[in-house]
Amino acid sequence: MKTVVTFEVNGEPREALADTRDTLLELLRDRLGLTGTKEGCSNGNCGSCTVLVDGEPVCACLVFGGEVEGAKVLTIEGVAASNTMHPVQAALIKYGGTQCGFCTSGIVLSAVALLRRNPQPTDHEIRHAIAGNICRCTGYGKIVEAIKAAAVDLQEARL
Amino acid sequence: MLELHYNRPTTLRDVVGLLDGGAARLLAGGTDLIPQLREGRRSASRVVDLKRIPELNAVERGPDGGWRIGAAVTIGKLGQNSAFAIEHRALLASAQLIGSLQIQNRASLGGNVCNAAPSADAVPLLICLGATAEIVGPGGRRIIPVASVAMAPGRTSLVDGEVLVALVLPAVRPRTAAAYERFTPRREMDIAIAGAGAWIELDAAGAIVDAKIALASVAPTTLFATQAQQALIGSKPSSALFTEAASVAAREARPISDTRGSEDYRRHLVAVLSRRVLATCAAELGCKIE
Amino acid sequence: MTTTEAPMKVVGKRLPRVDAGERVTGRATYPADLTRPGLVVGRIKRSPHAHARIVSIDTTKASALKGVLAVVTASDFPVIEPGTIIPFGETGADAWVSALTVIARDRVMWRGQPIAAVAATDAYIAAAALDLIDVAYEVLPAMMDIEAASARDALLIHPAMKPKGFDASILAPRNAGGRTVIERGDVAAAFASATAIGAIKTVIDTAHQGYIEPHACVAEADATGFVTLWVSTQGAFQTEIQTAVLLGLSHSKIKVIPLEVGGAFGGKITVHVEPIAVRLAQICGRPVKIVMSRDEVMSGGSGPAAAARIDVRIGADAEGKLTAIEGRYVFDSGGIPGTPTTLLMQASAAPYQCANLYLEGFDITTNKPRTEAYRGPGGIQAAFAMEQAVDELALTLDIDPLALRRRNLAVTGSLMPIGTPFPSIGLTTIAERIAAHACWREPIEPGRLPRGRGLAFGYWRGTSMTSAAHVTIAGDGRPMVTMGSVDISGTRTTMAQVAAEEFGLAIDDVHVAMGDTKSAGYSDAAAGSRVGRTMAAAVSQACQDALGQLRVRAAAKLQSSTDALTYASGVFRTSGHGGGSINLFDLMRSTLTEGAIVGRGVSTKLPLGVEAGAHVCDVEVDPETGQVTILRYTAFQDVGRALNPVAVEGQIEGSVSQGLGWALTEGFDYAADGRLRNASLLDYRMPTALDLPQIDCVLIETPVPDVPYGVRGVAEMPIVPVAAVVGNAIRRAIGIRMTQMPMTPERIVGELKAARRC
Repeated sequence: MKTVVTFEVNGEPREALADTRDTLLELLRDRLGLTGTKEGCSNGNCGSCTVLVDGEPVCACLVFGGEVEGAKVLTIEGVAASNTMHPVQAALIKYGGTQCGFCTSGIVLSAVALLRRNPQPTDHEIRHAIAGNICRCTGYGKIVEAIKAAAVDLQEARL
Repeated sequence: MLELHYNRPTTLRDVVGLLDGGAARLLAGGTDLIPQLREGRRSASRVVDLKRIPELNAVERGPDGGWRIGAAVTIGKLGQNSAFAIEHRALLASAQLIGSLQIQNRASLGGNVCNAAPSADAVPLLICLGATAEIVGPGGRRIIPVASVAMAPGRTSLVDGEVLVALVLPAVRPRTAAAYERFTPRREMDIAIAGAGAWIELDAAGAIVDAKIALASVAPTTLFATQAQQALIGSKPSSALFTEAASVAAREARPISDTRGSEDYRRHLVAVLSRRVLATCAAELGCKIE
Repeated sequence: MTTTEAPMKVVGKRLPRVDAGERVTGRATYPADLTRPGLVVGRIKRSPHAHARIVSIDTTKASALKGVLAVVTASDFPVIEPGTIIPFGETGADAWVSALTVIARDRVMWRGQPIAAVAATDAYIAAAALDLIDVAYEVLPAMMDIEAASARDALLIHPAMKPKGFDASILAPRNAGGRTVIERGDVAAAFASATAIGAIKTVIDTAHQGYIEPHACVAEADATGFVTLWVSTQGAFQTEIQTAVLLGLSHSKIKVIPLEVGGAFGGKITVHVEPIAVRLAQICGRPVKIVMSRDEVMSGGSGPAAAARIDVRIGADAEGKLTAIEGRYVFDSGGIPGTPTTLLMQASAAPYQCANLYLEGFDITTNKPRTEAYRGPGGIQAAFAMEQAVDELALTLDIDPLALRRRNLAVTGSLMPIGTPFPSIGLTTIAERIAAHACWREPIEPGRLPRGRGLAFGYWRGTSMTSAAHVTIAGDGRPMVTMGSVDISGTRTTMAQVAAEEFGLAIDDVHVAMGDTKSAGYSDAAAGSRVGRTMAAAVSQACQDALGQLRVRAAAKLQSSTDALTYASGVFRTSGHGGGSINLFDLMRSTLTEGAIVGRGVSTKLPLGVEAGAHVCDVEVDPETGQVTILRYTAFQDVGRALNPVAVEGQIEGSVSQGLGWALTEGFDYAADGRLRNASLLDYRMPTALDLPQIDCVLIETPVPDVPYGVRGVAEMPIVPVAAVVGNAIRRAIGIRMTQMPMTPERIVGELKAARRC
């Protein structure tokens, strides 16, 4: 069964013709070609498909496409402003926080959401915020370091 | 997964209208339902999304000073209600054990109850705290204890056409405290091998006048450890008392062995966790126990 | 070639990955992200039984479903007989293994083995079509562990196979694939006269590499039959060769384009879905994409790491000098025999000098998924036994575990277990560094719960094989490197550093690309800790070749002889006062149309860059729940030379986190009928950010002689000691020696209860 979903993706109004069984993940990847959001488990257990729906991080694999009708969705493709990296992205590059890159989109979105609600997180708060994002390459240390540095960069940018 | 109708009604009346026949499923957060449908563990020809119905998405003070939590309110949103968060710190903390932040931003308390998993982390304290479930169906509105919702793993006492509308918590009484602890091998993104929730009420002299212990993952549904509760009443909190009550709770547990844990280990954990949550409650109430 | 003594400007620097930008913005392309005009979806039907005979497969109904474009079974692939050896690594590989991994023929050896596949216009139709394929099985008893499969009356899973390495004097256990022995001296006599013995018998569960990207590929066949295959693989050429042989195609008719790899760790060397995608594409004339689900990855669609039972006994004299090491290493190969045990046996005993050795290895076929490589294959399992046995010995002798090891560590030139002298190795330096480090010198901070500190050493041989690269020079004088190896560990970055160093340029002036199999020279897979070292040699050689060609042109331009020119930082100069100079930009701008500069580099059988290291960790154990918390973790490693310390640390930290996962929470739980009971990432518990400590890395640099830049292997050794170091720390914390891996909370409580300590 087909349905048209009208919502906002990365600040742009979009209309997608989807199957009612499609998840938001399939809507983004297969119907809109936004393949930066990754599928690692389809079950909410790896966090690779993390996107922000109305500002909150969710697993796109656990949301039916129809549920985002009228919502604002932010995916990895919309995190950097035109060609300027978000401080989280810049820090992940600088500190070696991305290796294979498959979990990275989800990590970026979880970190962006964290720093919006908590601009000065502790190490534990950072680890808690990305605990739903499994990374198999880095051991997380360099990711935590990067998010901490990004928090400082964002603070300085605000001053 | 076969063809699926997806509906997004805005009134409760419309929901009830869409539920004729057993092939419809209610969708709140979807964090359990969507993988179940996609993996063929549940089937449905229609899902009815409850997130656009105002009544199911509000957190309100009850007339008695308690709370009325819309069944589709996400755990993330519940945590943003600071008055609720202060008053029901332990309950909220138990709900915040579910999955990850991403899951909590979709998953609802009502869904945790209706998914009827024995491992549901939010249910032990809901039932310890005396929460009731407000259910609407073709026959009107009825109210039952949350403890009576789950009948078996994945099965509830709701009949076709019925909807859980809200969870209602009574006002918090003075000299009461609650705590929940579960054990998981990982610190996040895991599911309880066993969990224990406790609630105790002291009298003015500091003796326990009422107590509830509810256990997760050690029976087909969340289990009240009634004998352990009885063992507490009338005594002052002490570590010997808690150890004894916890061992009674462990005997009351009816765990199975599965990939997450053996029967023995689960029973062992019930004793450990029950003792710990009782001690937390006592500490909260300012009791010094040796 | 740049000598290792010269001060380096780019190599050795902490530089960000050249491809990091595309990763953090979601632009990096993995096969699942690719689309092609007319793309259709491929899906695989898998066996629900662990051991069965396939009686019949009826695909009529599936083929008739609207939207289904192709259905294939084993009958659509040529029969590959056992012993069909294809070029692969050091010794070649048997294509029969790949063939059975790709699709079952007549018999099923594990649950999840592919039976059939469909191509359809969308995923929902493909799923429906799979349900319409009728397969009749004659179900056979499933043997789900080493005991069951090697029992005297066990059914043979491969009745026609003759076990390797057995002679008439030794009765092969049932379902043994092979036996290997490493032996020297007289072990029995040495044990008889030993003062102390440290011994352990271990049981290790199957685990998974746990890459987050499920296997995926896109295949397309053009009208002439030429096939293009976009893959996530550790070896583009290995994918090409296996796919060609399995489909009866010529190598030259397949182009494999390696895309980004979302984690592999050994599990993406053998082909899985690729030949099926090609066959479907050939039949339906449309590009076909196959992406495994997570459940497929875990439940038989990929090759996990081998379960094992390893018993080790070590004898020593009163001074703590090792006199005998005896080890029995039984590995679970899964459904197809062939787990190699020699390397892991050798690796486990290699850190120590010992005159008397008897190491015996077996691989047993079971009805689990066929096991594949995982980061230093077998190393962590073997060290779990060996390094805990060393710790037991230290306890028995009441000697500090570091002191005991320092009395016995192998040194350059001492004999390895296999009898050849050790190439340069920095084990004693590592021991000195540990002794001086706070993680060993400072006492553990006391806590409410029992705490303990562990130590374990590790060794891994790695391999060299062959790597190729070529360098062209762009019209603006910048070097463009194409390499034949896949980048799974930051190779583009480290090779850009090497090329920049060779040319005396900045890293931004260099471009490095992964070539496809029709644009790059044959290179072996990115495996065995070999790419950084061997590709550095190839790139270095290619750069020097290109510089030689540029020198000829510069000499002509400057009217000088080639010998009279010096080259530095992108500029050729004539020697002497008032001499001319020309930079690469001007040189290429003025000579581009005189012909391409193509520098060629091939490294083959380079000296090994053996890896050595040691880990120290502090744990806290909650004796009531069995939960282990890692308080502090320090990894010491001799890396030869770190081309890029950030990348090296990344490999070490990643290895440790994978090792901690297997050590504590990761292990497959198979039901008696072959069903995997913890296939989801909820129940297969890979560590989250809250489960791991900050991992400290101490890099020691003992360059490997006769290897450009002295690079060692880096990425396998650091998983080897992890489970053992945790086991040793647990032992010191609560007095319990854990013999089962993973050391789950339940198992720890079980051991404590057995010892009446909880």
